[in-house]
Amino acid sequence: MQPSGNRVHLETTLRNCVSRGRVLTSPAQLAGYDTDGLGYKEYRPDAVVIPADTDELIRVLQSARQLGVPLCFRGAGTSLSGGPVAAQGGIIVHTSALRAIRKISPEGFWCEVECGVTLNQLDEALKQHSVFYPPDPSSGPVCTIGGNVATNAGGAHCFRYGVTSNYVLGLEVILLDGSVHRFGGPAGGRGRWREDWKRFMIGSEGTLGAFTRFWLRVLPRPEKVWTFRATFPDLITAEKAIHGLVADASYPVAIELMDPRCVAMVENSPMAVGLPVDSFMLLTEIEGPAALVDARVESVAEILRNAGSRDVVYSDEAILRGKLWKARKVAGGLMGQLSADFVVQDAVIPKRALAELLQLVYDEADAAGIRAVNVFHAGDGNLHPNFLFDSRKPGELEKVELIGKRLMQRVVEVGGTLSGEHGIGNDKAAYMPLVFGPDTTRLQLAIPAVFNPRHQLNPLKVFTERRFTP
Amino acid sequence: MDLNTAEGSRTAVNTTSSKPGQHEKSASPADSDLLTSCVHCGFCLEVCPTYKLTGDENNSPRGRLRLWREEAEGRLEQDPWTDFYTSECVGCLACESACPANVPYGKIFENIRHQHVASGRYSPSLMLRMAAKAATYPLLMNLAMLPVRMLRRRGWLRGTMSVPGRPASIQSTASLARQLMQRHRPSGPRVALLTGCLMESVFREINAATVRVLIENNVQVIVPDDQTCCGAFQEHCGLEGAEQLQEANRKAFGKLQVDAVLSNSSGCGYALGRALSGSQTVRDVLTFLGEHGIIPRKRDSNKAQVYVDLPCHLVHGQKAAGIPTNVLDATGYRWQLAPAARDCCGSGGTYQMEKPENAREILARKSAFLNDAEGDPVILATSNHVCMMQWHSALTHSLVRRPFQVKHVIQLLDPGEDF
Repeated sequence: MQPSGNRVHLETTLRNCVSRGRVLTSPAQLAGYDTDGLGYKEYRPDAVVIPADTDELIRVLQSARQLGVPLCFRGAGTSLSGGPVAAQGGIIVHTSALRAIRKISPEGFWCEVECGVTLNQLDEALKQHSVFYPPDPSSGPVCTIGGNVATNAGGAHCFRYGVTSNYVLGLEVILLDGSVHRFGGPAGGRGRWREDWKRFMIGSEGTLGAFTRFWLRVLPRPEKVWTFRATFPDLITAEKAIHGLVADASYPVAIELMDPRCVAMVENSPMAVGLPVDSFMLLTEIEGPAALVDARVESVAEILRNAGSRDVVYSDEAILRGKLWKARKVAGGLMGQLSADFVVQDAVIPKRALAELLQLVYDEADAAGIRAVNVFHAGDGNLHPNFLFDSRKPGELEKVELIGKRLMQRVVEVGGTLSGEHGIGNDKAAYMPLVFGPDTTRLQLAIPAVFNPRHQLNPLKVFTERRFTP
Repeated sequence: MDLNTAEGSRTAVNTTSSKPGQHEKSASPADSDLLTSCVHCGFCLEVCPTYKLTGDENNSPRGRLRLWREEAEGRLEQDPWTDFYTSECVGCLACESACPANVPYGKIFENIRHQHVASGRYSPSLMLRMAAKAATYPLLMNLAMLPVRMLRRRGWLRGTMSVPGRPASIQSTASLARQLMQRHRPSGPRVALLTGCLMESVFREINAATVRVLIENNVQVIVPDDQTCCGAFQEHCGLEGAEQLQEANRKAFGKLQVDAVLSNSSGCGYALGRALSGSQTVRDVLTFLGEHGIIPRKRDSNKAQVYVDLPCHLVHGQKAAGIPTNVLDATGYRWQLAPAARDCCGSGGTYQMEKPENAREILARKSAFLNDAEGDPVILATSNHVCMMQWHSALTHSLVRRPFQVKHVIQLLDPGEDF
């Protein structure tokens, strides 16, 4: 938090940077930016700037550098890892005004968008050209492309299509000194750079520069989609189905699993869909040209039946498909209804370790008296244990953090890693030494230091060592 | 029964959240469970008209909830900016539809607004206070608005309330209903109709059309004489008086032997539904007709095009899926949903008077499509009289630079004054 004299200077300087945009500095203007999707961790910024265009953003960056104030960038603030928050005070740059879809090239299969464009906004525009942008995090109706690129976001369908980095052809970045750089472009590649700098940028979580524009690869919209839902009496049969699907030539686009605790949570709510409460629920989809996917429907159903499911249901009709997805879609919201707070982990594990890690989640949560439910991307081993707690109750947050730490330790031991799609932020920064030893950490820290030596951009994120020193 | 509707396939049902005699204010605004029910996911941002207008997160449901919560927990001092962001809310309730955690935003907002008005942090304009007071005296209001009805009937009135129409100057809706019941003797379901304050005093022709359409479709209509304003106006402004009106309506409607109580304005229906919860089912007249079945109208011209806008208090308040497609088909017109039909038009009850600039900007964005819309004539149809006034202001404020008509959907089904 800045001393009051400095705050006045900060406000005056920022107001000189923007003419059409907004500068927020009153306590009740800053409180709305205290936190992200990880609602229980709060950090009050000293100022929020909503630049109206890139020129204003450049001036904000240059001024922040001169003032020696930390900066972090925020899209829709849906991050689940404490990414777009002012962990060390300073300025939050909210990119809500930079939301133009500048160009769609259906022939070239690319589009050019500003960082504040939301995934749904982009999808609505792409739909008219029969193309689509595959990454599909659950926050699609509101999350921005800028945040997706910053965290290298994924989603249910990334089992087949891959994560954001597979679709970024190029990006425009503004560095702390206000210089504008373009890495790659509509044709992809490196642009005017020897190394593939855009790869450095994707997933850098706002530690290298401000992303303002992207050139994204799009694909032909699938002609037809079949959704399958099946329940399994135990994890052994569910895993058999997962292995069968992964190896099958029909190449499913998504494989999602809900554990019995999550199924019971849905079935004991007004959102119940009629699943057996003590079962694992699996969802999978195949998509592509109608003639090809239609021919594969029975073989997928057969894999599910052979694995041990007695209630395989499937459809290619939009409303019915929505019903099959319903239990999966409502689970996140239900956790919010049942609990004051919840935290979702994002570990990626080798699929062979699934049973062990699930058991660890159950044992640790039960011992601590914390409710845990699992709903996750089983196809690519991206585990999402959700811990339901109340941060107002003394000791609960500490218990959840301890479970998280033990879980992460084991995840790394079995060959997994900390995050599949949510990013590290400040929530998982403390776990980084589990993955990276001192030598690797030194090299990792050297990269952001090239761009902002004093860690002025998004300090205390990704590595706890990234503390800004004025 | 699931109905096909102009927006989806959910059955349109009035939702209610309080018991008879129990005002929502009984839930304290400082109730930490209500304020902490938001998990900060942000799904409300993109459906919030003021967030989309400003890009300022404080001006969104998630932001407002954060400000109210921090103030209630003593972590944020009372601040004029909290008052400002609270006053900016349209009250459209689109955030409730988008919220996966079912945060009762409307209930919390109503409580906070009452608290701000009671403590002087927010003061509705004198005109709004007078209008709210007038609404509690239906007879007086009907009399005072007689010149307005006469001028509208002759097409001489210009301004916000000048949505063209032919309201009966003298005969009340209750009198018309008795007359037509006598003449046509319908034998089907029996319903009671809420005639409302502004609807009866200014837009009476919509009430008359409602009565004619219902009776033509063999529905028995009674219009209780002792009914009064639904209280939504007072609730919107955060003023006292709504509870007395709700109590009066509970007396007027509560014990009637009817199959349903009907409303032809979604905001009024939403408010009455909450007041009568537990005693009567309040339904939107179009939802009711969709289930009951409806005689289709035949049109000679096929050039006209109807664009249907869905009022917020129908789809987000009453949680209806939309206006039933069989009802819209029965108008005999070619119709389609207006772009972003589930988004607010900016009317928000009293919002167009409280925040005219915001309301106009929201409408400007939403109504832009009409400039190039096909149809001769172009008709914008909705089912809330306040939304009708707002849409008509797109013409009076030159937001849309081509003529178009604003109608209530029930008017498109009207057998006419000779019925």
